[in-house]
Amino acid sequence: MPQYFPPNSNAFAKWSIIGGLIFFTLLLTCLAIYVRSYRNRVNVPVSQPIPFSHALHAGELGVDCRYCHTSVEVAASANIPPVETCMTCHSQIRQGSPRLYPLYASWDQAIPGVNDTASLEAGTNAPAPNSERLEWNRVHDLADFVYFNHSAHINKGVGCSSCHGEVNRMEGMWKNEQMSMGWCLECHKAPEKHVRPIDEVFNANYKKPTNQIALGKQLVEEYHINTDKLPQCSTCHR
Amino acid sequence: MNIDKSREILSGAREFGSDLSSSAEEKFELTVIGVAEEPEFDNTAESVQVIRERLAELDQSEGKTYWRSLEELSETEEFQAYLEQEFPRQSAPLESGLDRREFMKLLGASLALGGLTACVRPNPQEKIVPYVRAPEEIIPGKPIMYASAITQNGYAQGVLVENHNGRPTRLEGNPSQPGSMGSIDAQTTAEILRMYDPDRSKEVLQGGSSSDWDSFSEAVSSLDGNIAILTGTVTSPTLASKIDAVLNARSGAKWYQYSPQNADNVLAGSEIAFGSWIVPQYNFEEADIVLSLDADFVNSGPAKLKYARAFSDRRRVRTGEDTMNRLYMVESTPTSTGAMADHRLPMAASAVEGFAREVAAAVGLGSTDSHAALPDGWMDALVDDLTNHASVVVAGDEQPPIVHAIAAAINEAIGAVGRTVTYHKPAMAKPEIQSESIKFLVDDMNSGKIDTLVMIDSNPVYDAPADLDFAAALDNVATSIHLGLYNDETAVRSSWHVPQANELESWGDARAFDGTISIIQPQIQPIYGGKSPLEVLSLFLGTADTAYDSIRAFWQSAASGGDFNLFWNHVLYNGVVDDTASAPMRARAKSTIFDEPASHGADGIEIVFRPDPNIGSGKYSNSSWLQELPKPFTKLTWDNAALISPKLAEAEGLKSKDVINITVGDKSIDAPVWIMPGQAEKTITLHTGYGRTNAGKVGNGIGFDANVLRTNEHAHFVSASITKTRKKYKLVSTQLHGILESDGIGDRHITRGGTLADFQAHPEHPGFVHPVAHHASDLYDDFEYDGYAWGMVVDQTVCNGCNACITACQSENNIPVVGKDQVAVGREMQWLRVDAYYGGSVDNPEFFSQPVACMHCEKAPCEPVCPFGATVHDADGLNVMVYNRCGGTRYCSNNCPYKVRRFNFLQYAELEENAMALLQNPDVTVRSRGVMEKCTYCIQRIQQAYITSENEDRTIADGDVVTACQSACPTQAIVFGDINDENSEVAKVRKSKLNYGLFEELNTVPRTTYLARITNPHPSLAVASSYGSDSHGSDTHGAEEGGH
Repeated sequence: MPQYFPPNSNAFAKWSIIGGLIFFTLLLTCLAIYVRSYRNRVNVPVSQPIPFSHALHAGELGVDCRYCHTSVEVAASANIPPVETCMTCHSQIRQGSPRLYPLYASWDQAIPGVNDTASLEAGTNAPAPNSERLEWNRVHDLADFVYFNHSAHINKGVGCSSCHGEVNRMEGMWKNEQMSMGWCLECHKAPEKHVRPIDEVFNANYKKPTNQIALGKQLVEEYHINTDKLPQCSTCHR
Repeated sequence: MNIDKSREILSGAREFGSDLSSSAEEKFELTVIGVAEEPEFDNTAESVQVIRERLAELDQSEGKTYWRSLEELSETEEFQAYLEQEFPRQSAPLESGLDRREFMKLLGASLALGGLTACVRPNPQEKIVPYVRAPEEIIPGKPIMYASAITQNGYAQGVLVENHNGRPTRLEGNPSQPGSMGSIDAQTTAEILRMYDPDRSKEVLQGGSSSDWDSFSEAVSSLDGNIAILTGTVTSPTLASKIDAVLNARSGAKWYQYSPQNADNVLAGSEIAFGSWIVPQYNFEEADIVLSLDADFVNSGPAKLKYARAFSDRRRVRTGEDTMNRLYMVESTPTSTGAMADHRLPMAASAVEGFAREVAAAVGLGSTDSHAALPDGWMDALVDDLTNHASVVVAGDEQPPIVHAIAAAINEAIGAVGRTVTYHKPAMAKPEIQSESIKFLVDDMNSGKIDTLVMIDSNPVYDAPADLDFAAALDNVATSIHLGLYNDETAVRSSWHVPQANELESWGDARAFDGTISIIQPQIQPIYGGKSPLEVLSLFLGTADTAYDSIRAFWQSAASGGDFNLFWNHVLYNGVVDDTASAPMRARAKSTIFDEPASHGADGIEIVFRPDPNIGSGKYSNSSWLQELPKPFTKLTWDNAALISPKLAEAEGLKSKDVINITVGDKSIDAPVWIMPGQAEKTITLHTGYGRTNAGKVGNGIGFDANVLRTNEHAHFVSASITKTRKKYKLVSTQLHGILESDGIGDRHITRGGTLADFQAHPEHPGFVHPVAHHASDLYDDFEYDGYAWGMVVDQTVCNGCNACITACQSENNIPVVGKDQVAVGREMQWLRVDAYYGGSVDNPEFFSQPVACMHCEKAPCEPVCPFGATVHDADGLNVMVYNRCGGTRYCSNNCPYKVRRFNFLQYAELEENAMALLQNPDVTVRSRGVMEKCTYCIQRIQQAYITSENEDRTIADGDVVTACQSACPTQAIVFGDINDENSEVAKVRKSKLNYGLFEELNTVPRTTYLARITNPHPSLAVASSYGSDSHGSDTHGAEEGGH
C-alpha cells in the first residue's frame, strides 16, 4: 500500500499545530485588547452635548472638583452638577455662546439678550428656555452588580486622579483606566501602593513620592484602612 | 426545547409581565411538564385515626412531641420517600430525553452563541440627566425617609417611606406613630407594590369607555338631585370636613359608610354596656393575665402592631428571674394570637357568648345555665388568675355585641378599667353601625331616593353583604361614580369610574386607633393620573382645589395660633400631630347587661368568615407579594380554602384538597378543604378576598368568593350544611417545602420549648434547650473573627407567625414572585420562611413559629462544594453570595442542611424597564436566571453603616444596622447586631440559657440562633412538658464522633 503522505508532512502537521496556536494566541490577544480598551472605551473620549473642558475649568481656572461634584465626600455618587451650577457663571460668562445652547435650552429662565422673548423673536438661534433637557453621556459605567462608593475612597486617601487620571489636562472626558475587577483589586489588595495624604486627594497633579510604600503603610495605619475587608467580595458586591 | 417555547415559559412565569395574558394558565402548564408529580399523602379519615395512635405512642416514649404536618405524623411510605429526596420537585427532567450527540450539538451551539454575543454587543451608552435646580435636601444615591401614613380600613399606620431621588421604593414603620411603633405589617409593606401595580386603572371611564377628567368635572357640575356618598371607614378630619361641606351645600345629600372589617360589634357592645359609643383600648403593658374571647388582637384590627408589641414586651424571658404574662384564649380558628396562648381552647364562635357568661358568673356577675365543655380545672385556674392579678378580658371584633358588653362588665368587676383597659371616643370621624348604614343605602337606592351615588375607595359590589344585592340596587341609581385604584367589580357597573391616587401619591390625613392624626404626604406624582377623594369631592363644591389646597386649608384653620409653617413642617417631619390622641373617658357598665337574653351556640356546622390573613378582604387581591406569601400555619399560597378540623374530616371522610359544597340558606359555594389542626370541631373558616372577577391580572379568578354566603345579619359566623363532592382542587402549601426532619419526628429538636416553671427550676441548664450533644470532632479549623461578627437571635416565644418579616425582606431585597405553579414545584423565592410546627394533639396543638433564613454558619457546608467559589466567607463571618460568580450548579443548596437557598430556575425578576422596575431597591443586585440567592443579612445595610462609620472614623454602633425583617417585626422577635460587641443587645440575648442553634450538633456554628419558646401555663394546669430536666448530652448523637 503506497504512502499517501510524504515524510515531511509530519513536520507540516507539527508546524500547523504550532502555527495554529500562535494564530489563536494572537487572535485572543487582539480580542482582549479590543474588549479591554476599545470596547471598554479606555482613552476614548465620549462625545457630549456640550464640549465641556475639564482642562479649562479644573486646570486653567482652578475650579475645585467639589464645586460641581458636590456629594463626592458624602455619598456613593459624586453627582453630576445641576444646570443651576453651570448657570452661576454662564448666565454672565460666555453668554449666548452657541456651544452652550443645550445648557440654555434646559434652563428654566429666559436670559436677557440670549433667549428672552425679544431676542427669540429677533431671530437668534438660541433655544427657548425649558425646551429640551440636558443629557450627558455617561463615561464611567460600572456593572450593575458593583457598588462603588466615592465617599469611602475620598475619605481614606484615594485621590481623584488615582482612578480618573489627570482630569485637569483633559479637553474632553474619557476613562483613564480599565475599571475592571482586576484593576480594582490591585489597590484593594495593596492599598499602600496608592494611598496619599488626605489633603492631596483633590490634587490632580499629585505625583507619588519615592517613598510611597513606606508613606502608604503609615497612612493605611493612620486612616484605619481595614485591609482584611478590602479584597472581599462583599465589599463591592451585594 | 425550542426558543419560542422557552420564551413562552419565561413570560408565563413572570407575574408582572405585560404579556401575561388570559392564556397565562396554559403557559403555566408548560412549565410543569416533566416535573415530578406532587405526592398525594393519604390523610383520609382512617389515617387521622392512625395519626392519633401514633401521637399517643410518641407521647409515652418521648414526652413532648413536635410535628410539622399531618402527613408527617401519618408516616406513610410516600412521605418517607418524599423526605429522602430533599428537593423532591425541584428537578425537572427534560421533556424528551436527549441523546449524547444532540446534547453535544446543543452544548457547542450555546457556547458559540454565547461567545459571539459577548464579542459584538457593545455596552449601551447610558445617559445622565442632571437636575435643572437641585433640591437642597436630595443627595443623588442617598435615600430620604419621609414620614407619612397608610390607612388600613381607614385607620392610619405610620410609615417612613424610603425615597430615592423622588422614587419611593420601600415602606418601614414610623416609631413615633402609635399605630406602628416602628413596625409594619405585611399588607402595609406591600402597599408600595400596589402603588406601582401596572393593573391599576389609568383613565377616567364613562360607561366603560374612555373619557377624561375635564368631561367628568363638567358632568359633575351639571348633576342635580339627591346625592349619596359611600365611603369606607373615615378617620380623616379633612375628608370628613369635605364631606360635611358637600352635605351642607347639597340639600338631600347623605353620607354612608361601609367597610367589611368594621367596629360594629364593638360600638353596639358599648351601647349595651354603657349606653354610648365608646371603644376600649387595652394596656397590655400592665396586664399579667389576658383572656381573649375569640380576639386576634396581635394580628388584626387597627391597633394590632401596638398590641403585639405591648403584649410581647411582657413575654421576653432571658433568665430564670424574668416573669411573663399569661394568655388564655378561646377561639374558633387558629390565629397568631392563639398561637401565642398559654392556654388555648378551640371553641365555636357562637359558643363564646355562653363561655363569657360562665366567666362572668364565676366573678359574680349574672347567672348562666350554659356549661362549655372545658378541660378539668380550666375555669378555676382562669378565674383564680383573673381575680388575683392585673387582668384584662378582650372580645373579638367578630363576636356579637353582647360578648363585648359582657367583657366590659367583667373588666369592671375585676378592676381592670383604668388600669389594663381604658375607654375612649372612637377615632372614626362619624361613628356608626356600618351594617345598618349600608342597608339604609341599599333601601334608599331601591326606592329611587338617590340620583347620584359617589363611591369613594370602596368596592361594595364585591364586599357588601350578599343579601343586599348591591349590584342590582346600583341599577336604580341614575349616575353612579366610582373612585378607586382599580377598575373593579363596582367600577365596571358604575356610570363613571375615576382612577384614584394611591396614598403614596396624594395628600391626606388619617387617625390611628387612638385618635393620633398623621398627615399623609405624597412621594411621587400620581403615576397613573389618579385623583384623590378630596379632589373629586371638591368638584361637588364647584371648586378645583387640589388635595394639597384642601389639606392646607383645613389645617390652617385647625392649627391654633403660632407660625403655621413651623407647625406644618414639624408635623410632616414627625409624621404625627402632637397631642391628638383621645383621652380616657369615665365609663360605668350598666347592670342591665345580663338582662339581655342569652343565645346558645348552634350544634351543627358553623362557618366563620374572616378576612384573608394576607390579602385582607380584597384590598390586596392583586398583590403578588401577598398572594405568594404562605398564610400563617396553613402555609397555603395563591388560594383560600375551607379550613376544617381533623375531627370533622374524620366524621365526613374528607381529605385536604377535596372540594365540598357549603350551603347557607339558599346560597351555596364549592370550596376545597384544608385540615387545620387546632380548628374548633365543627367550625369551617372561610377567608374573604378571593374569587375576584375584576381585581387585576394577578387576583382575577383565583380562590372562591366566600362573600356569597355572607349576609348582613350573619356577617361573621353562620350555621351551614356541607356535602362532599367528587371534585378535587389543587391547593399549594409550602408547609412541606424545605422540611428539615429526616430522621423521623423529634430526633433533631428543631424547635424547642418548655414552660417558665421548668426554666425557673433549672435556670442554668434548662433541659429542653440542649437535648442533644455536639459531634466531638470537626472537619474544619476554627477561624478567629476579631472584627465585627454579625449575628441574629430569634425569640420564638414572641414570634407569632404574622409574616411581616417575609414581605419586608421581599421588598428590601428585590425578591421576585414565581406564581402558583412554580410554588407547587418548590421554587418559591422568599429568602425567609416562617416554619410552623405543632406540639401535642391534632385537635388542640401548641403552635410554634420559627423564622428560618440563611444561618450564616461560621463553618458553612455550602462553601466547600461550590466549584466557582461563588459562596464564601468574609471577615465579618458573613456567608456571602457572589451572584456574578454563580454558575448555577445548585451544589450549595444540596449541601445546605437548613434548605434556605433559593435558585432562579427561570427569569423571575423583571428585567424590562417598566413601572415595576421603579420598585426595585437600587442598593441590591437584581438577580437573573440561573443564579443562586439567599439571605444576606441585608448586606447592603451593613455596608452602608460600615462606610458611614469609616467616613466618620468610628466603629459601627449597636443599632446602626437593622435588617429589613428586624425593622418590620411587630413583636421585636428578631435581634441583630455585632456578637463580638459585649454591650450589644444581640450579644446579651445570645448569653441567655435559652439560646440554641439549629442543628448546632453538626458544628456548623450558625450565626443565627433561637431562643427556646417559653410558655407560662397556670401551675394547676401545667402538663408534664419538655424532654425531662437536665437530659443534656444524654442523646446518642455524641457517640457518632466525626460522623456525617
